[in-house]
Amino acid sequence: MTTIELDRPARRSAASLTFIVGLILVGLHVAIALLTLVWTPYDPSSTAGGRLEAPSLLHWAGTDRLGRDLFTQIMIGSRIALQVGIGAVGIGAAIGVTIGVLAAFATRLLDDALAAAFDILIAFPTLLLAMLVVAASDTASLWSAILALGIALSAIVGRLTRILAKRVLQMDFITAARTSGTSWPRIVVIHILPNIWPTLMVNFALQFGLAAIAEASLSYLGLGAPPPNASWGRLLQEAQGTVYTAPFGAIAPGLALLVLVIGINLFADGLRDVGDPTRRRSR
Amino acid sequence: MQLFARSNRRQFGATAIAASIAALGMMSVSPAVLAAADTSAVIEIGSLYEPQNLDNTAGAGQGINEAFNGNVYEALFALTDGGDVSDALAKDYSVSDDGLTYTITLQDGVTFHSGDPLTAADVKASIERVTAESSKSSRKNNLATITNIETPDDSTVVITLSERSISLPYNLSYVWIVNDAATSITDSEDGTGPYKLDQWRRGSSLSLTLADNYWGEAPTNAGVVFNYFTDATALNNALLTNAVDIITSVQSPDALAQFTDNPDFTVTNGQSTTKELMAFNDRVAPFDKVEVRKAVARAIDDKKLLESIWGDYGTLIGSFVPPTDPWYVDLTAVDAYDPDSAKAMLAEAGYPDGFTFSLDTPDYDPHPIVAEFIKSELAKVGVTVNINIITANEWYTKIYQAHDFDATLQEHVNHRDIVFYGNPDFYWGYNNPKVVELIKQSESSATIDEQNQKLTEANKLIAEDAASDWLYLYPQIVVSASNVSGYPVNGLNSQFYAYDIEKSAE
Repeated sequence: MTTIELDRPARRSAASLTFIVGLILVGLHVAIALLTLVWTPYDPSSTAGGRLEAPSLLHWAGTDRLGRDLFTQIMIGSRIALQVGIGAVGIGAAIGVTIGVLAAFATRLLDDALAAAFDILIAFPTLLLAMLVVAASDTASLWSAILALGIALSAIVGRLTRILAKRVLQMDFITAARTSGTSWPRIVVIHILPNIWPTLMVNFALQFGLAAIAEASLSYLGLGAPPPNASWGRLLQEAQGTVYTAPFGAIAPGLALLVLVIGINLFADGLRDVGDPTRRRSR
Repeated sequence: MQLFARSNRRQFGATAIAASIAALGMMSVSPAVLAAADTSAVIEIGSLYEPQNLDNTAGAGQGINEAFNGNVYEALFALTDGGDVSDALAKDYSVSDDGLTYTITLQDGVTFHSGDPLTAADVKASIERVTAESSKSSRKNNLATITNIETPDDSTVVITLSERSISLPYNLSYVWIVNDAATSITDSEDGTGPYKLDQWRRGSSLSLTLADNYWGEAPTNAGVVFNYFTDATALNNALLTNAVDIITSVQSPDALAQFTDNPDFTVTNGQSTTKELMAFNDRVAPFDKVEVRKAVARAIDDKKLLESIWGDYGTLIGSFVPPTDPWYVDLTAVDAYDPDSAKAMLAEAGYPDGFTFSLDTPDYDPHPIVAEFIKSELAKVGVTVNINIITANEWYTKIYQAHDFDATLQEHVNHRDIVFYGNPDFYWGYNNPKVVELIKQSESSATIDEQNQKLTEANKLIAEDAASDWLYLYPQIVVSASNVSGYPVNGLNSQFYAYDIEKSAE
């Protein structure tokens, strides 16, 4: 494997504070999401509580109209947000990286066409594109939302991949590899991907945050995970009508979403600081 | 006849039966205000239901009934807020012994807002407007038994029927009497009501002022303005800031907190005719079995559901008939909440381990949260519910037209709509020959007592068969400034008579 040597020795220096804070916040969500697989404070469908109870020791975030524990719902929402984030970024990465690399290797005409296609897709607001995909599928489900967001994100990933891959393709060692008869799939695997990977990872982390917000928006509009999935967007939507009498029902899922997105952004920032020598030098 | 409510309401043809003896006494708002009414006051009404146009035979929506029924247009008969049918433009009427000929005498001295006098020819033309081929009125089918309308003189109308129709006066209460000289009434009007149209600002408001030379008792105010809002929160805020005097229908108990503890406002809790129900597809397994339907009805705690959705408001119902229908009897004890017997009945019906079904749920409030509640309740008796969220359009094509569903949630808004259970082709496919026969016979009853007795029996039968699961009856909540009184509290069929509204000087 050939990686472009850029200030390599310093790369393993202490991770930045933002990275650590981000990691803790994201880690917290991951831990909670995993915890919901085995334990939640209440059965999520139990309607044993009172109507719209305020936060208390029994119900840390209060209850909803049906008397269900909101903290339980928000914990499950964490799992859904991560599921959507991982799923959407996974799909976006798979499609985007593949097409991006293909474009970089393609003939001039195909490359231009793909680049234009990426630009057109990006010009569409992510949410609108996702809504189109959801509308095209028969019924709204968690998977249609993930697929929709994945497709919307793939254009951004694709364009970035294409640019990064093209830059690497101009390097001398690629010319060397080509002259020595290395096949292009092999060039992709051993030369290109390892070199563009750090930058892509930062981008994936940022996309993850975008996907979490977009899923909440879709669910808020009724196009995301259908009930009884406790998506944060749906919790927000359900709390809307009772926002005067039980404001915490809207505040709590909003806070959870905020913490996750801030965490991911700090994490991505930190990742960039670690992975991008030019930035680190300027400090 | 309207089947959907709120913004998703749509009109479908259907048959209603009618004529009446009120089941309830008139409900009236006790004026909390002792100050004298200010007859020069204009009442500002806030509503969410702006009409699409001004013609009730041209798909104008429920908003036009709210604004115009009884206010701008009158009919031969009027449906009162208590559910009675009273004479309006008909001064008197007689029915032949065979029940096939109605001879109606018109009130004297009635003129249209344009100045033309009311004649029998106007009445004939008005009924024909509703029954015409091009009419989009959902009431059309109810008048299908009319074979001939004659006008022997200017103040007499003779209606001949092909078969007895005891509900004719009730059905005629939806037929606006319009001047036959008026060609199009989609953006103007020519009625006989106490108010005439002043101005309609699309997207904003519709104002009515006093009509000149009104034949009846003059309104207790100088006019009304219907102010239209698309957002319930904005509407509530308008009342809080005195931009409107009254809200015709509040749709969430949580919006009420701002008004209930405030002496500046009056909250009235009337009875709507809107029923929330889980309609089974009675044609398909497992809901073709009466025991399964009864078991499901017993497994759901309607009282807790109603409290969750409406807090202290709303009414539990044991069948499709609300207390304002003449054939109401309290059937809440039939298949009352009893999860243990639900389990036993499921086992008896051959489902000891429960079953799984898909619940098609319209995507607007309160259906999704109701679906979640049902899912959680039925899980306790081993029945698995898959919630399938659909739009109002999908509901119409998939369920109403194609009958392609296991069970669905829907709100039915109409007064006197038990007749749907007499139609085996209706979307829920309930087919009990005895009920079909009773409902058919009730319409050709010789007397109103006979009609009531037949429909009461049909009502009991559908409850015993758990034809659907009737979850609760919506409340009709009207909120007004405390110096405003005299408004209708039940809102039957979306009507909102404005002529008795009083506003006292502060």
